[in-house]
Amino acid sequence: MRNRLKVLRAERNWSQADLAEQLDVSRQSVNAIETGKYDPSLPLAFKIAALFGMPIEHIFFNNDAAQAAE
Amino acid sequence: MVAREQFAWVWLLTLVVTYTVYFTAVVLTGETTFWTQIVMFAATAIVQVVIIATVSAVIALRRKDEVSGDERDLAIEQRATAVAYNILVTGIVLVGCVLPFTQSGWKLFNAAVFAIALAEIVRHGLIIVMYRKGLKESKASRGWHG
Repeated sequence: MRNRLKVLRAERNWSQADLAEQLDVSRQSVNAIETGKYDPSLPLAFKIAALFGMPIEHIFFNNDAAQAAE
Repeated sequence: MVAREQFAWVWLLTLVVTYTVYFTAVVLTGETTFWTQIVMFAATAIVQVVIIATVSAVIALRRKDEVSGDERDLAIEQRATAVAYNILVTGIVLVGCVLPFTQSGWKLFNAAVFAIALAEIVRHGLIIVMYRKGLKESKASRGWHG
């Protein structure tokens, strides 16, 4: 699964630590999600979507869909 | 490095070093008395407890906020524990159902200790690997790994 978390975070001038604090996870977990090393659970994905004020599918998308779009 | 990865390193290094010393001693001493075996195993266990408890306490005091962990920490631990469980069960089946027909006494005991040690070493090794390489959903599950 891929995501736009890093871009969305950068648009808001948030550090990984800022985002981690708002999501109640570690900074390392935010980094792992951004770099694709960890796929968040559905509850965490919803929390991220709510925080950025957009639907989940605008933040997360699977590899197949991303490759098809490219 | 998150606190839980540091805990895993402490466990892994302590177990590898102490059990290497223990099993080397077991092999070198060969057939020993009851009390020699007891002393060797007790010394190994005490050294493990002292090192792990002391270093873990220091890590926990320094990084209080991270000790409880988040969902990624729990997912990694669950995945590693599931793999280690299979190793442990295989070892215990061998010790409990196969070895008694050919071995007895301390050889059985040490075989059980080896199975437990191997499972624990694999568990903590996998935790470190998954923190480093990432935790991806497996092809078998095709779903979330939690």
